[in-house]
Amino acid sequence: MTEVSETLLKIVAALLAVLVAGLALLWHPEPPERPLPRAALPPGGDFTLQSAAGPVSLHDYRGKLVLIYFGYTYCPDICPTSLAATAEGLKLLAPEELARVAMLFVSVDPERDTPARLKEYAEFFHPVIVGATATPAEIDEVARRYGVFHAKQKVDTAGDGYVVDHTSDTYVVAPDGRLVARIAHATPPDQVAAAIRKHLNPT
Amino acid sequence: MKKLSLLAAGLIASAGAFAGAADQVTVQDPYVRLAPPNAPATGAFMVIRNAGDKDVKVVKADNPVSRVTELHTHLNEGGVMKMRPVPAIDVKAKGEAVLKPGGLHVMLIDLKAPMKEGDTVPLTLTFDDGSTKKVDAKVVKPTAAPAPMEHKH
Repeated sequence: MTEVSETLLKIVAALLAVLVAGLALLWHPEPPERPLPRAALPPGGDFTLQSAAGPVSLHDYRGKLVLIYFGYTYCPDICPTSLAATAEGLKLLAPEELARVAMLFVSVDPERDTPARLKEYAEFFHPVIVGATATPAEIDEVARRYGVFHAKQKVDTAGDGYVVDHTSDTYVVAPDGRLVARIAHATPPDQVAAAIRKHLNPT
Repeated sequence: MKKLSLLAAGLIASAGAFAGAADQVTVQDPYVRLAPPNAPATGAFMVIRNAGDKDVKVVKADNPVSRVTELHTHLNEGGVMKMRPVPAIDVKAKGEAVLKPGGLHVMLIDLKAPMKEGDTVPLTLTFDDGSTKKVDAKVVKPTAAPAPMEHKH
């Protein structure tokens, strides 16, 4: 083989490598569980909210994987759809796995959702789910850190005249307290369980 | 006698309700999702199939268990699901409209009393030509895969 063609071969190989790397970086078919690239990861972090059993903080669950869903009890369709799928995912876990998982249902509608109301609502889906909320200002602050969009939307016929548009992903917080992933709305139960296991037992 | 004929006319008029669009439409697997405790609203879902040669629109839905009944859809905007009322649900000729969680649905708002699993909710659908169709929707617990069977054509 001549030196020229060898150089050419190397150039072609290098170009191919760049192409493959570029594809890997830029081509993202949307998986149901979206591991967030480090840079795009909202900071997340600790917070304290009010539950029917008193204050509840994210750091209370250190050592457990915590799922967080931001919603509200007046939520007519999206929250029940998401929560039912997540609850069925939880039911697929072995008891020893479930013992290492916590879940918070955080109300983005603190004006209507009391801790007592949230408790009944959340436990209807799964006994592991703890309903909690805080003052509107505190909820805004937590939502901002988790990259959760929520906005009241006037709908005359809805209870008290409004619904709340909100991000319908479920947030995954690793046992060390770091926000590590989001699970998309209505992800099937087996994929919810797989996402939980992945972050419960990082390799 | 006059009164009687008036009554008869009224009866005929309401009997007229089952002529027209309602005749060419069938409804499959209607169900109402059991509302979680404290939830004041819930959705009804079904597949509405149109065997006729003309497009039909569902323009209204009614039921006796909630104070308000509306037709709604969801818009997914970057992971944010936005629920919005729609004026009508189109069912194309020889086509179907799939009402399912996260999409088109009949919204039962401001429930008069808590419902329980296994209850039946009579839903009345009104079409754009004024004809109506009554369907009995079973109340079922929320599940992960509550969408009625989708039939691809």
